[in-house]
Amino acid sequence: MVLARIEGNVVATRKHPSFEGWRLLICQPIGLAGEPEGTPQVAIDAQGAGLHERVIISSDGSAARAAVGDPKSPARWMVIGIVDETGTGATT
Amino acid sequence: MRLGTVIGRVTLSKTVEDLRGARWLVVSPFTSEHYKRASKAPVVSKEPSLVVYDDLGGGVGQTIGFIEGREAAMPFDKPTPIDAIDAVLVDKIFYSPMQ
Repeated sequence: MVLARIEGNVVATRKHPSFEGWRLLICQPIGLAGEPEGTPQVAIDAQGAGLHERVIISSDGSAARAAVGDPKSPARWMVIGIVDETGTGATT
Repeated sequence: MRLGTVIGRVTLSKTVEDLRGARWLVVSPFTSEHYKRASKAPVVSKEPSLVVYDDLGGGVGQTIGFIEGREAAMPFDKPTPIDAIDAVLVDKIFYSPMQ
């Protein structure tokens, strides 16, 4: 799983049938301070993440297949949660 | 899935039995810079290019979304030696990075 920021979305008419109706979001992996790390991934989203929101994306294919409801889907990256806050955990 | 530009095609003479007749695309993956200028002429990136299995009919110059890893072989009934598959033919990209 990686921390990422939503930087846009992708529109595609011709696609694997399992992606029908799913939002395809461009997710830029980021570090704790929000700096970009590596190249963006396109992930499916059922959480309703908005532009520039921070999320956690997971590369677990079996969970993504369960989410799209097709055991033969190649789906892999999926938004699994929207970030509330990040920090070091220190209280002061 | 990552996005990439189709920069070529491959045809095979001798192949694994299950993959006879398959289409193969040579794809140059997008870097962050490519997302910004995706609407303009496609450019070959510095990322290593790869061969992607295609059953959607992607052509040279098009932008596709491809999935890498074990998930790429999931659409097949039998175990198949495929680790990258064309999953979407991209029509439009809306990209707005945070300033």
